[in-house]
Amino acid sequence: MRKLIWIPICIFALLIPVAVLAGGGEGGFDGVVDSIESHYHVHATRIPFLGVISLIARKSTHEGVGNLHVAEIENFGTGVDGDELNQLVEQKLGSGWERIIRETSKKGGEQTLIFMRPEGQRMGLFVIDVDGHEMDVVQVSVDPDHLNENIGKYSHHHDEDGEHDVSD
Amino acid sequence: MKKTIAALILGAATLAAQAVAQDTLPLPSAVEKELAAKASDVTEVTLGKNMLGFAAKFMNGKDKDDAAARQLIEGLDGIYVREYDFDKEGEYSMEQIEQLRKTFETPEWQPIVHEKERKNSETTDVLMKMVNGENRGIFILESEPKELTIVLILGPIRMDQLSELGGIGGLGSLAEVQKGMKVKEKGKLTDKVKTDGDQ
Repeated sequence: MRKLIWIPICIFALLIPVAVLAGGGEGGFDGVVDSIESHYHVHATRIPFLGVISLIARKSTHEGVGNLHVAEIENFGTGVDGDELNQLVEQKLGSGWERIIRETSKKGGEQTLIFMRPEGQRMGLFVIDVDGHEMDVVQVSVDPDHLNENIGKYSHHHDEDGEHDVSD
Repeated sequence: MKKTIAALILGAATLAAQAVAQDTLPLPSAVEKELAAKASDVTEVTLGKNMLGFAAKFMNGKDKDDAAARQLIEGLDGIYVREYDFDKEGEYSMEQIEQLRKTFETPEWQPIVHEKERKNSETTDVLMKMVNGENRGIFILESEPKELTIVLILGPIRMDQLSELGGIGGLGSLAEVQKGMKVKEKGKLTDKVKTDGDQ
């Protein structure tokens, strides 16, 4: 009889971490988009077959770009509070991500948040861009070496055209 | 005896905390929050040591300039840039500028340039962090009637290396700062604090 008592106790103990994880909510790209949807009462349009597109992008760029996630949210009823949005994203994005750039323009209700995360030899980028009543959320994993080579191609092209400054 | 040990631990902890605080990027001050609230456009660039080390991978080192920039970035502890654009003049006060400047009024931070132009109400401050005779950081505060820029770079850096960082987003103006410094060097103004106004 005593042994049988331990069975429900063990099941209960096993369920606790599951419940805690479920209660904590999903993080990462989906977690951020879900939070934005629920917080601002909007609907995000996710690009269909993005997994396939991401795979094609990865192959066509020779592993340069991958893990592509895109969501578009339209019809923001009111202006977005930059601090609030920033806090929401930081909370949901998860560990390892650091915000490197934030641009705010009150005139057109524009907000840009760029987060970065080292992913081994690759770099994770998470971008949120709000322009008036539209918000784009993009997550991508890039290979810095490939990206550098591609940027190099264009900057050399610019140099040949007599434009030396491509930083801005 | 116990009191002595406790005092030693407390002292060591305080010193350690100070050392850490000095080499990490600051949190936005109350003044910066006030400025951000009034500005029409705000640009914030924050790169910690980890991210700088990682960003250095962008520079392949094949190009001579890239190699120099990569070496420089890998050695830095952090880059902190805040740029505030205002719709009209008078959106920020000189008291706010002074508060920002006071943050760096410590023995380690030495003023290199303090310039005030009365005609167009522009001020430029450049301070350098000196530790054991070595330059460990630069703070630049530039104010124009409708624009305010704060640049804080922590780590070993020289003025002549500033333009190397121009390729990083938001830091393009550093090349201009360096140019400005060179002009002032010709006028022999950088060796001491120089005020064109009444300060």
